[in-house]
Amino acid sequence: MDRLRGMNGTVHGGVADGRPSLARDTDMCEAILALSGTTNGHLAAQGFATLARRTGTGFDGLADEHKKITFADTQARPVPVTTSPEWSGSETGGRRYSAFTINVEHRKPWHTLTGRQHFFLDHDWMHEAGEALPIYRPPLNMTVLFGEPGIGEGGEQGITVRYLTPHSKWSIHSEYQDNLLMLTLSRGGPTIWMSPADAARAGIRDNDWVEALNRNGVVVARAIVSHRMPTGTVYMYHAQERVVDVPKSEASGRRGGIHNSLTRLMIKPTHLIGGYAQLSFAFNYLGPTGNQRDEITVIRRRSQEVDY
Amino acid sequence: MTKVMAQLAMVMNLDKCIGCHTCSVTCKQAWTNRAGTEYVWFNNVETRPGQGYPRTYQDQERWRGGWELNHRGRLRLKAGGRLRKLFSIFANPLMPSIQDYYEPWTYDYDRLFSAPMQDDTPVARPKSLITGENTKISWSANWDDNLAGGPELAPADPVLRKLSDQVKLEFEQAFMFYLPRICEHCLNPSCVASCPSGAMYKRSEDGIVLVDQDRCRGWRMCVTGCPYKKVYFNHKTGKAEKCTFCYPRVEVGIPTVCSETCVGRLRYIGLILYDADRVAEAASVADEKDLYEAQRSVLLDPNDPEVIAAARAEGIPEDWLEAARRSPIYKLIFDFGVALPLHPEYRTMPMVWYIPPLSPVVDVLSGTGHDGEDADNLFGAIDALRIPIGYLAELFSAGDPEPVRNVLRRLAAMRSYMRRINLGREPDESIATAVGMTGERVEEMYRLLAIAAYGERYVIPKAHAEQGARLEESMSGCSLDYEGGPGMGGPFGEASGMPVPVAVENFHALKDRQTTGALVDPEDRQNRVNLLNWDGKGTPDGLFPDRNGRKQP
Ligand code: SF4
Ligand code: SF4
Repeated sequence: MDRLRGMNGTVHGGVADGRPSLARDTDMCEAILALSGTTNGHLAAQGFATLARRTGTGFDGLADEHKKITFADTQARPVPVTTSPEWSGSETGGRRYSAFTINVEHRKPWHTLTGRQHFFLDHDWMHEAGEALPIYRPPLNMTVLFGEPGIGEGGEQGITVRYLTPHSKWSIHSEYQDNLLMLTLSRGGPTIWMSPADAARAGIRDNDWVEALNRNGVVVARAIVSHRMPTGTVYMYHAQERVVDVPKSEASGRRGGIHNSLTRLMIKPTHLIGGYAQLSFAFNYLGPTGNQRDEITVIRRRSQEVDY
Repeated sequence: MTKVMAQLAMVMNLDKCIGCHTCSVTCKQAWTNRAGTEYVWFNNVETRPGQGYPRTYQDQERWRGGWELNHRGRLRLKAGGRLRKLFSIFANPLMPSIQDYYEPWTYDYDRLFSAPMQDDTPVARPKSLITGENTKISWSANWDDNLAGGPELAPADPVLRKLSDQVKLEFEQAFMFYLPRICEHCLNPSCVASCPSGAMYKRSEDGIVLVDQDRCRGWRMCVTGCPYKKVYFNHKTGKAEKCTFCYPRVEVGIPTVCSETCVGRLRYIGLILYDADRVAEAASVADEKDLYEAQRSVLLDPNDPEVIAAARAEGIPEDWLEAARRSPIYKLIFDFGVALPLHPEYRTMPMVWYIPPLSPVVDVLSGTGHDGEDADNLFGAIDALRIPIGYLAELFSAGDPEPVRNVLRRLAAMRSYMRRINLGREPDESIATAVGMTGERVEEMYRLLAIAAYGERYVIPKAHAEQGARLEESMSGCSLDYEGGPGMGGPFGEASGMPVPVAVENFHALKDRQTTGALVDPEDRQNRVNLLNWDGKGTPDGLFPDRNGRKQP
């Protein structure tokens, strides 16, 4: 805090009297950098010491105690973060991040009931659902549940297919598949991959504009027809930018959506287990599975005149 | 007595390429992020089977790149000799058009900030960089990535069309791999031989093939002459440009940008010594299938005392000879015998070689429920699988499947030999013997291919100032003494003194591009006008004030 006061200045009077100033945007950036173990080595060292007391194992040499990254450093050039107990990987000594190296090499227990990696979930509700061990569950029947048309139905007016949203090979979300260079090395905008058989039935050719629609929303994209795709399934790769080359939809008259416009979170009782070791709430999204990715959609060729 | 010369060469291990395009992007940022080179990718990564970039460049019946043998068995350019060229010099039909590369575009990004209040979020729509108009994107530098558009586009793949077996483009039989490509820095470069102005040259110290920007007159015969289509025309300067093997970097002993940034760590750079007097003879062997062996026979053993003596006689410095002995390239081509040239049948003696991928074979095995790491399964599949292997053979050994099979057998042997060790079992020497190696050799190969430590992947000796007159950016004299540079001495402008070093020009161009708001050809970008080349016709950008009376910079 003293260091932050030194950098940002001190507030005089009012509720924040004596606190470091957050008057400017850069002050806030300095505050974030000063309060994270990954950019303030002192905190990392402190965090590891606390962790060592809790786990009874040693984390010596992991933290870079005297390293402090300031906002000016990050403006000058990209700066690698330092190793800190928030993350399970070690980047000490210029090493590349890899998950769980701290668990494996420093014997830090995993955040589970047993402290080990385990598949068995010994909880009453899990037993009741028959899911104490990982099991196969067939895709949900969207026709029965939500009145969607059945897979394989339809023809020229649009066919019903499974809709999957895998991560693409180049990117984490829009980084970096959506910069101009990477768009130039692909199809230059949002696309949906489909099999030749499905495309033929719906009268879709490679690079045609298509719309994919279900009860949740609508996507406008160009089709990629490829024999790499199995019949009955389409892919829309995860998180393609909505601000690049997305026209308005014929179905809604509004801007076409992103991959997640067709998915919706679904909760079942086992998702509501809480306060039980690793089965506790953390702020991301609910549920240990990606079941909202288990979707279907009607995909059809739209007018090739698109309006932005 | 042999005439020993040194060549910087590269090998890429295709099993490790994940098609991430990092190499292409970093290369583009370093070299071709300038006006006039929007469509140019010195490094590109294409999915095979696929059409490649520019499309169908491998169809030499159409593009007529590289060399062929005349009826007397002598080499001649496939596009024809001097006379034929003179007639076509003003309209060269053997040049890929911009549509064969792709029509570069950008997006109306400004709209995202400037759009008025409206019901829907604004989007940036594509605009052609050629016309500046709205466009629907219908081809790109890598349109058929990951077999995109396969059923429609892959049948035009010239390599696929050469296969005698009918290849079904179906899900069950799908196979693919990535092929990263740069200029091959050939020992017998047809680009150099095609140039009517003598502007292209192969550097004598390290074999890098370059375009002399001062002598280039923009005839573009090199574009036709190169069968790999790795010379490009800069439509702003009107001159040819090509992959430089990052000479400013390798001269100081660091790897090319594409290699340095390769995510798969699959590129190797090192020196190869070769007998310059025997290149033409080797390139003219009658049977295309013998070209791979012929090229190997031109490459010299850096440990052979006679070779060392002959190299010294040619003035090759000692540290270069030492680097040649430690060369990973030599190991991969000879000691392990796993690297093959790309399209030896073009007869240019390419010097970027490839380790063909075993993955199409492993994929078939694991896809059918077999153990893809078992030596017998792998050997059996390598013998039985005609299609992926035939395809690889058309790329790397002029259609002869044997060299490809031999390499794949060695890679397969390494896989299963090392798996036993990994699982804590006794090493099985018989696996190594089955492919003509020893267990020790296999482990060495594993170290170079799998561990791939930086210092072992790149063995690049530094350039010697005394060595050459042609070492561009480390040339003696004041390095700031270029036109427009702070040290510029002479009283005359453009075309007097030394050209701007590429690194400097590129730095400014990149800055201009990143700071300008205009879509196409921003007028606040620095333009260069060469008065000596101006023939009085037209009004080159930057020569006159524009209509509004504002002087252009
Ligand atoms: S690959 Fe390079 S050296 Fe070979 S012919 Fe083409 S441009 Fe010339
Ligand atoms: S950076 Fe390496 S792994 Fe990625 S595409 Fe290029 S060659 Fe392949």
